[in-house]
Amino acid sequence: MLEIKNLHARVEGKEILKGVNLCIGDGEVHVLMGPNGSGKSTLSHVLVGNPKYEVTEGSITFNGKNLLELSPEDRAHEGIFMSFQAPTEIPGVSMTNFMRAAINAKRAYFGQDQIPAAEFLKMLKEKRKLVGLDAHFMSRGVNEGFSGGERKRNEIFQMAVLEPLFSILDETDSGLDVDALRIVADGFNMLRTEKTSAMVITHYQKMLDYLKPDFVHVLVDGRIVKEGTAALGYEIEERGFDWIKEEVNNA
Amino acid sequence: MLNVETMSSSQQYIQLYEEQRALLEQNSCPTMNAQRSKAAQLLAQKKLPTRRNERYRYFNVQEAFAPDYGVNLLRTLPAIDPYATYRCNVPNLSTQLYFVVNDTPMLHCAPNQPTEGVTICAMREAGALLQEYYNKAVNDADTVAALNTMLAQDGIVVHVAAHTKVKHPIQLVNVCDAAMAMMSNRRLLIVVEEGAEVQFLLCDHVAGKSAYLTTQVTEAFIGRQAKVDFYTIEENADNVNKLALYYVQQQAESRVAMNGVTLHAGHSHNHVNVQLLGQHADHFTAAAVIAGDRELVDYNIVVEHVAENCNSEMLYKYVLDDESEGAFAGKVLVREGAQHTTSQQTNANLCVTPTARAYAQPMLEIYADDVKCNHGSTVGKLDETALFYMRQRGIPETEARLLLQHAFVNEVLQRVELEHLRDRLAHLVELRFRGELSKCAGCKMCQ
Repeated sequence: MLEIKNLHARVEGKEILKGVNLCIGDGEVHVLMGPNGSGKSTLSHVLVGNPKYEVTEGSITFNGKNLLELSPEDRAHEGIFMSFQAPTEIPGVSMTNFMRAAINAKRAYFGQDQIPAAEFLKMLKEKRKLVGLDAHFMSRGVNEGFSGGERKRNEIFQMAVLEPLFSILDETDSGLDVDALRIVADGFNMLRTEKTSAMVITHYQKMLDYLKPDFVHVLVDGRIVKEGTAALGYEIEERGFDWIKEEVNNA
Repeated sequence: MLNVETMSSSQQYIQLYEEQRALLEQNSCPTMNAQRSKAAQLLAQKKLPTRRNERYRYFNVQEAFAPDYGVNLLRTLPAIDPYATYRCNVPNLSTQLYFVVNDTPMLHCAPNQPTEGVTICAMREAGALLQEYYNKAVNDADTVAALNTMLAQDGIVVHVAAHTKVKHPIQLVNVCDAAMAMMSNRRLLIVVEEGAEVQFLLCDHVAGKSAYLTTQVTEAFIGRQAKVDFYTIEENADNVNKLALYYVQQQAESRVAMNGVTLHAGHSHNHVNVQLLGQHADHFTAAAVIAGDRELVDYNIVVEHVAENCNSEMLYKYVLDDESEGAFAGKVLVREGAQHTTSQQTNANLCVTPTARAYAQPMLEIYADDVKCNHGSTVGKLDETALFYMRQRGIPETEARLLLQHAFVNEVLQRVELEHLRDRLAHLVELRFRGELSKCAGCKMCQ
């Protein structure tokens, strides 16, 4: 599904990614771990085409397409979704209008007509239930006055509505209490299929418990320095990152 | 040296008045004629404002008056029937509709009659009512108002009798339509008696490509416990210089809302003077301004709290694109003894391009010691983070920008009480942002 080769990227003139290689196959869930500032969020933002991040070298192929040539919106239409670490407030743009605009843009991209109103409302209702988001959130501005937990739930709700092929969860678990975390993780798991994949950035063992990832990668100083299964994630939870950094330095 | 042009403009129009006085008065009425020489004196003495005048800092009066405009002193009737030419109504909102073409009230051919308790007539036919109120609210020795008073020959008078609840809004549509450069001096007098309730929809439009200069003076006398909403909609073009002056006097416990939407302007100066004369009067004034190209929209507002226990609120939001300019100067003036005044001033500007300019000047002048007055203004750009968030969800950049701009002015639209009008305005604003609202195509309320 996704193939990242020798990816170099910088933000505000500073090189953050220094040659990332990563392959994610259909139906796989990969967890990305690493110390603060190692480039996890940068990698996420580069994948979704945030214009603040500049790719200086390397390639990203997504289902055979050169991702770097696509605009952020076209990447979304091709099936890439990111659950933001800090979802933005957009006062005055209601959730309903926001979702309608997103869905219709995707339909237009594939040459389909706009979604009929009844179908749209029915779908919103179904997906809301999946993450336990109340109806009144739909008439509020996007994330306007939402608590931290509600914002994260809202991200998974949007993911459910947009049905992406590849999802990036950038610390979706941070700031959530145990119950909210379970709701978010359950929502995510329900959306998993053999065709959909995900890259999950997390610091917490709980997320590993819930998501049962296929692979764990460790990003240090802009490079993936260690890879393994979920067991690696638990080891990091226990031992921290220093031993990995030492391994890298000794190599 | 700076105001040579202005001096010549003032002189030029005073000269026109002096030379054509007989003709001008013959085609007007005694009450209007009685005010002319005093207005001419004021104009001769003070001249038209320059940018050094506090209230015209952001509007170039000299430039607006510079072209050689024709004036319709003979009161030649426009050759068109506006009721057939322009269709102007908000779907599901049947209004009592009247047109003013240039400065001629077109009341005789209006298809509808005013409802019970409402009198709508031309100033030339208004008689005693006009005499009682005409030019009485103009309180600031403004020389644009003076020029208007010196030259205006006719206008519209609306009277709403005490305790009348007017069901359908009264819609007055100003249209500029002439084959040559033209100056129109419009006049509107509104008298709403005690306990009456009425809504006005005041629209400005332009047809044709000639250069227009319009001065429009509106005086509104709002009685005790009356409730009046004004909705002003400006849909002009770059060939129009508009100076609209509103003078509003409110008696005790009256409530007035003035809600403006500017969709397109040329150069537009809106001068609002409100006096809260009786206790517990409430005034709300707001505008959603959308400007692009080299448009200029200037709101200059003074709300004067004369009586105790009154409340006023200003909410002005501008979205400025291209090289447009938006100016907001709002002053709350609390007179001595106007204790327990509460007021709120909000002005927010969104500059979509680096070349757009916003001037924000909220002011307080307070001569009482027990008041609560807040003010704040902001100038900002489109939120890049929000823009990217929307694009990540698949919303194309142009659409995302549009949604953000619409959201920005939505706060003002939400304050429109008439639901159908609110929906219609939201739709027009959306069309405007999409660039689908073509200029100079007559009235946009119908399409």
